[in-house]
Amino acid sequence: MEKKLSEMNYEEEGRVKSIEQDLKNKVAGMGIRVGKNLKMITKHPLKGPMVVEVDGSHTSLALSVAGRIIMEVKR
Amino acid sequence: MKKILLMGNPNVGKSAFFNRLTGANVIESNYPGTTVDYTKGYMKGDSEDFEIIDVPGTFSLEPKDKAEEVAVKMLEEERGALVICVIDASKIERGLYLCLEIMERGYPVVLVLNMWDVAEDKNMQIDVEKLKSVLNIPVVPTIAISGKGLKEVVLSIEKAASVGVNEIMGKVGGIK
Repeated sequence: MEKKLSEMNYEEEGRVKSIEQDLKNKVAGMGIRVGKNLKMITKHPLKGPMVVEVDGSHTSLALSVAGRIIMEVKR
Repeated sequence: MKKILLMGNPNVGKSAFFNRLTGANVIESNYPGTTVDYTKGYMKGDSEDFEIIDVPGTFSLEPKDKAEEVAVKMLEEERGALVICVIDASKIERGLYLCLEIMERGYPVVLVLNMWDVAEDKNMQIDVEKLKSVLNIPVVPTIAISGKGLKEVVLSIEKAASVGVNEIMGKVGGIK
């Protein structure tokens, strides 16, 4: 199933399917690229940033950024 | 005096490394126009002395905030500098991303795989020799807080040379 990273639930895991072109280089420095497995750790209220796990480390992303990353999740 | 920039992602131990390399002779100064500090110090090398600059941590050379802007600006202002790229051995991929960006701009680089003990605790196996042969730069595993590997880093400074990214791409078979 496909969904935006910003729509992922707590503890949900998935694989990055696509990233908007102009965002690719921005998130690559944080270790996020197409094909990477990510796990949603938490999100903050009032459209605050969300925290995802990538390669065993936590990194936070603005919700607007997460909304431009498409994930493939199981089930 | 030859300048050395310590660069890497935030929280990889650059400053611990800096303190180890420079000892007590540390000067702190403000970078004009920003709130972000950098630190400068001096180190005695084998045959010459070096000025070492502890650059704020950054994820990439496309700055997203003020601290990263400072890091990129410092790199651009020090065209003749050598870069010691400090990366967290347990988070090697995103560290290498920055390291490659720096190499792409033509700086001579020494790659330091810091927090080697953490990577070992996580049962990660890193092929240092292979990294060396692919990147064609000195690669040194270290534990900055205990001082392990520091001597090798200092010794390898002279061996650092700038490497063309195309050469690396050839070795890994290009970008897919």
